Formats: sequence, C-alpha cells, structure tokens
Amino acid sequence: MSDEIAISVQGLTKDFRVGLVGHKLRAVDNLSLEIPRGQVYGLLGPNGCGKSTTLKIILGLVPATAGKVSILGFGSATSEARRRAGFLPEAPYFHKFLTGRELVSYYARLSGVAEVDLKSAVEVALDATAMTEAGNRTIGTYSKGMLQRIGLAQAIVHQPELVILDEPTAGVDPVGAAAIGKMILAMRAQGKTVVLCSHLLGQVEQVCDRVAIMDKGRLVLEGRVDDILARRDRQVITASDLTDKAWAAAEAALLAHGAKDVSLTHPRRSLEELFRELVKGSRDA
Amino acid sequence: MVRGLTIVGVAVAIFIAGCFAENSWRLVRTSIPEMGRKEIEPTLGQGVLLGILGGLRTVIADGTWLRSYVAWEKRDRAACEGLMRTACALDPRARYFWENTGYVVGYDMAHWEIRRRGGYAKVSPEIQDDLFKSYARKGLAVFEDGSKHTGGNPGILISAGQMAEIKLKDNLLAASYYKRATESANVPWFAYFLCARSLWEGGQRKEAYAWYRNQWLEKLRGVGDSSPDDLEHLRYFEAELNLPVLQRIPRQTWEK
Amino acid sequence: MLNLMKQSLRRTTWIARITFLEAIRQRFFAFLILLSAALVVSSVSFRFLDFGHGELKFVADFGFGGIFFFGSILTLAMTAQLFFAEIENRTAMTLLAKPVSRWEFLVGKFIGVWAVLGIFIFTLTLILGLIMWGRHQELVALAEAAGRVPPDLSVSGVAAYALLQWLRLGVIAAMVLAVSSVARSFLFAIVVGAMAVLAGQLQWIAEEALLKEKQITTVYQSFLWLITRIVPNLQQFNIGDALALDVASVSNGAVWAASLSGCIYIIVLLILAGLGFRRREI
Repeated sequence: MSDEIAISVQGLTKDFRVGLVGHKLRAVDNLSLEIPRGQVYGLLGPNGCGKSTTLKIILGLVPATAGKVSILGFGSATSEARRRAGFLPEAPYFHKFLTGRELVSYYARLSGVAEVDLKSAVEVALDATAMTEAGNRTIGTYSKGMLQRIGLAQAIVHQPELVILDEPTAGVDPVGAAAIGKMILAMRAQGKTVVLCSHLLGQVEQVCDRVAIMDKGRLVLEGRVDDILARRDRQVITASDLTDKAWAAAEAALLAHGAKDVSLTHPRRSLEELFRELVKGSRDA
Repeated sequence: MVRGLTIVGVAVAIFIAGCFAENSWRLVRTSIPEMGRKEIEPTLGQGVLLGILGGLRTVIADGTWLRSYVAWEKRDRAACEGLMRTACALDPRARYFWENTGYVVGYDMAHWEIRRRGGYAKVSPEIQDDLFKSYARKGLAVFEDGSKHTGGNPGILISAGQMAEIKLKDNLLAASYYKRATESANVPWFAYFLCARSLWEGGQRKEAYAWYRNQWLEKLRGVGDSSPDDLEHLRYFEAELNLPVLQRIPRQTWEK
Repeated sequence: MLNLMKQSLRRTTWIARITFLEAIRQRFFAFLILLSAALVVSSVSFRFLDFGHGELKFVADFGFGGIFFFGSILTLAMTAQLFFAEIENRTAMTLLAKPVSRWEFLVGKFIGVWAVLGIFIFTLTLILGLIMWGRHQELVALAEAAGRVPPDLSVSGVAAYALLQWLRLGVIAAMVLAVSSVARSFLFAIVVGAMAVLAGQLQWIAEEALLKEKQITTVYQSFLWLITRIVPNLQQFNIGDALALDVASVSNGAVWAASLSGCIYIIVLLILAGLGFRRREI
C-alpha cells in the first residue's frame, strides 16, 4: 500500500441482524475508499446511509461482515492503528465530575502518553482547542460547544496522525462550528489527516479537500471538492456599480459572441456567513 | 478451530471453578445451619426466600415466628404449623423454635381440631383420645427433628418425654427420651429421676432401680452435693422393692 | 513485553480509577450505604424482638443480613449501570478508539466496581464490628457478675466475614459483567443478572443433593453435577455468624477454600465476560 494513503477500505460490507428472527439489514454495501494522507476528507450522506457504521468499522469498534480496512498500514482493530488515530464520536458524553484538564489527562494516559510528557501534551491539546482557560472547570458546567472542543482535545492529545470526527459541530452554534472548522484546518496544516462526517455541507465545502457521498450503504460519488462542485459549463461575472445601460451593452456583447442563458442576478451571502458576521459584530461591540 | 478451542477452554475453566467450589462447600457446610427444604416449601413466597438465599435468617425466622402467633390466635392449624416449621427450618439451631413448635402441635392443635369438629360435647371421647394421640405423635416428630438439629439438646428431649408421658400415657417411650437426655451434655439434674420414674411407672421397676442406682453411683454421687434427692428416691425404690440391706446402696455418712 | 504489560496495567488502573470515582459519586451508592448503616446500627435496638438466640447472634444476623441484601442489590444495579452507561453514552467509543483493549476496559470496570463494593463492605462491617464489640463487652461484664459463661465474639472472624462477602460481591459483579457483555439492554442485564444471583444463592441445594442423596438416578445425578459445575455457589460465603460467634464450628481451611473458590469464580466469569464482549458492537 502507498505511504500516501491514510485509510484504505476495500470491499467493506456490514450486515446487522435485526428483530427476533434476525433479519439481515445491510448498512454498508461493498464500499471501497482510499483516503489520502494530510487531507481533510468529508464523508457525507443522509441519516442511516452507513457513514457512522463505516467510521466505527474503521476504528475497530464494530466488526465488518466482509472486506478489509487498514489505518496507516495497520489492521483497523490493532492497537498500533488506534495509537495513530484520534476519534470524536457524535454527541459524546464525558464524566461530568472530571475537570476538562483531568479528562484530557485521562485520555492521554490511555493513549500511551508518557507521564513525563503528559502535562505538556495536555496543555497543547487544550490550547489547540481553545480550552486552556476552561480546563479547570468540571465538565458538567460546559456548554455544548465546549463539550465538543474538549472532545476534540481528547482526540488529539496523543498527537495522532489521523483524526476522525463524527458530526463534530452537531448542536453547536455557527460561531462554535466555525471555530471547530478552524481547528480542523489547523490540524491539516500540521500534516494530520482528518476524516469528517457532517451534515453541515457548507462547512464541509469550506474545510474538506475531498468528499465521499454515501447513500444506502453505497458510495455514490467521491472526489476533490473543487472538481465535484465546479460547473464547467457555467461562468460568473461579478461587478459593482453596474448601470442598466452598461448591463444592456454587456448582455448584447455576450449574446453577440454566442453566449447563452445570460442573466443578471445579485450574488448572495450564505446565511451562515451573515449570522457569523452579525454575531461577531455584536460580540465585538 | 480457534472458536472450538475457546469453547473447550471456557468449559474446562468453568469445570475447574465448580470443582473448587465443591471442595470449599464440603468445608463450609458444617458451619451453615442446614435448612429443611420441605418445611420451607409451604411458606415460600411469604418473605422467606431471602432467608433461604442466605441473609437475615435469624431475623426472618423471628418475624415468621411472630406471624405464627396471629395464626395461633385464630387457631388456624395449617398456617400456624407452616409458619412455625418455617421458623425452625430457617434457624434450625434455635432450641426455642423446635420446643415451642412441638408444644403447640402436640398440646394445642388437638383441641383446635375438636373445636373445629363441633366441640367437646359433640366429639366422642374415643375420637378425642385419638386426636390427642395423633397430634402428640406429630409433636414428638417435631421434637425428634429439633433434637437432631440442635445436637441432642436435653431440653427438647425432656419436653418429648413429658409429651409421651402426658398425652400418649406411654411411660416407657417417655423413659427412652429421658434416658437420651441424660446422655447429653448439660443435662439438668432432674432428668435422671424422670427417666427412673417413667421406667418404674411403666412397670420396669427392677430395671428402673438398677439403672438409677448405676447412674447415681457413677455420675451423680461425684457431682456437687452428691445429689441427695436422687439418693432419697433410690431409697424409696429400695423400700418398695423390698431389697435386702446388703443389696442396697451402702449408707452414706452424710445421709439423714 | 514487560513494558507492554506495564502499559496495559496502567490503562486498566486508570479505567478502574475513573469507574471508582464515578461509582462513588452516585446517589444510589450513598443511599444504600446509609440505609445499610442505619440497619446495622438499629440492630441493637431491635434485639428485643429476638426469640431464644444469643443476643449477639441476633445483632450479627441483622447486620450481616443487611450487608448481604443491600450489597447484592448495589452490586447488581451498579455493575450493570456503569457498564451500560459507558456504552449508551458513547464513552466506551472514545475509550475503545484509544489503544485500550476490550479486556482492559472490562477488567478496569470490574476493579473499579469491586473497589467501591470494598468500601461498602468494609465500612459497614467496621460499624457492625464496633457495635458487636461494644455490646460484647457489656455482656461479658453482665455474665461475669451473674456467674454465667460469657458469649464468644471473634474480631478476626468478623474481618474474615468482610473478606468473604467482598469476594461474594466480586463474584456477583463478574456475573453481571458476563451477562452485560452480551445483553442488549440494561433491563435485560439486571433481570438475568438477578436470576443468576438467585440461582447462585440456591445452588447449594443441588450441591447438597449431589453430596448426600444416595439413591438417585444417573440422569438426575448428571443434572445435579451439571448445575453444580455451571452455577457458582454463592452460599459458601455466608458463614458470617459462625465466623464471628462460633468460630469452633468453622472447619480448618474453610475461609481459605471459600476465598480461593471466589477468586477462581471471578477469573472464570471475567474470562466469560471478555469473550462475550470481544465482538460486541459498540
């Protein structure tokens, strides 16, 4: 396998037995994927499409019915693989009586961080997730966004090469979601591979290099975000202070040169952008 | 292959654990009062289960005994006997439960049965007598069980002797219980006399004297004040049997 | 190899530590320990209800019974709850996504729970021991004044009782973990666990029948043999009153044999739990 591949999934199939009779329910159907190193990879799809099951199989939490999965060249169920990976599940629960710092120390110890390096590793993780100040508060007092960030801190405390995030922004307000987005980009900048499972397509679009879209357990589309989203048969011209006269002239010129479907629209901001701008404004004030 | 080996391994491990537990149980069981399962069955589901499971046995036995008083007041024979036997079964080393269960079964229940059948005027004396004897025998069976579980407690055996004497009018049976009582540790001083008297009353006068004399010479004479009351009884037997002076117990220096 | 074992031990210890901290903060634990302590303390006040036993026997039975009963409930509920809480809250996911093996997770959980049960047993036994010792001193003085034989009380016997009960609760915890490792719901684990405990407490009936009854058919004998091999004997640990008040009736080596048997049961049941948990979907 190439050293450039962080996760390799070959012919992965997972069947669940449901009900008393044990009817077979196929959650993942012959999925094959190769996730390159050092990129942010989005795994998308509607609820129940098999994203979370795929992630769990990758992490060795659920055995596969068929197929092979490896993380950085190691079998997914091996401790070598898990030593190199960090994971934040969807809506995680952490022991409320621990402080954020204690929790991250606990996970650091479980991840094999040596006692001598423990303190600095914990501080680096807390710093990376902007939780240094809140680190001495008990987790019971944390907001949803802080919980996600402390969850992220426990996932990266042992400096894994691969970070797997399942709905890291679920239930988090847009400002918090943007902060998590920035953290993901920072991880990529450090050379880590990030696998992101999210319903926030706007965020996925912003942070992911590649995406895979799953439906009914199958892979329906996979590729670079730019390649997937770019429409090669359409162009956009933007301008400001455009008068009616100028527009009429421009339209005539375009049509004269064979352009079709020429229209005038105003570019829109995304609601998320507007919200962040407004909230940021009010917070700054 | 691996799965098969795992199953075999687990089965072997469970087997080994079971063997160790059996060995441990052999050593431990002597210190756990043995419960009579049959006695408990009628009252299972009345809060007794916990006692069987191993906790609060004394407390539950006491509670069960208290509940038996309610049944006793209502003269509910089945409930009363069931609860009393349950108390005995839960805490079989307690003499109190055995002795009082024997008394209630042997002495009271025949009266309850006669009342249930219409009273003393309606039930013929023969049937009354049959009932007294039949319940007395049941009472004796309780005393026998109690004796077994309490290591031959002399108090229970003396109670059995009294029941045989009073209700069954069987002096020789009574004597056999008293005699067993005299063979136990901590036997009360009067058990010897009770045994001799029962044998005497049962017609075995010579045997009664011979046994009593032997007990006095070998056991009683050396204890405390040399049991002068027993010697007095023996002198009475000697006089009744018209024994020649030389066959009598020699006169003691302290004897009046 | 040694380093790997050291790391494994470190992870297990930390899981145990967090489990212990979580368990000890539960209101259920505080409630049961207070209730049991109240029962133990009140045993002296209820002794007038006793019929024909030695007074200390009644106090001992009351106290030991309370510890036995509430200890069993605590073990059942707490073990199943702590196990299922980790899985349902997805904490197990974050733990098992780390280089933590399922054996380490399970053993860590067990040690954490067992440590809490140790606190429960030893605290209550200490309270009961103090009450019995205090009353024993009074009874000895009264007996000496009346010229009667004073009752016996063995403090080391009370300590041995605590050890045996702790082992018994350990066996129950391991049983519940074995059931929970394959159970799909908390309720199922509780119900089946309770039934297993019940069977364990009644196993002695089969054991006795096998040891005592002479005229039994081969089929019945095989059935009894199977029962005694499969179901753990939990009754063997209930010799508290004999250890405390009638130590002469306890056979030589009985405590050691029961302790060894308890340890073996714990190991075997944890192996079973581990095998059940190995392929469980988290």
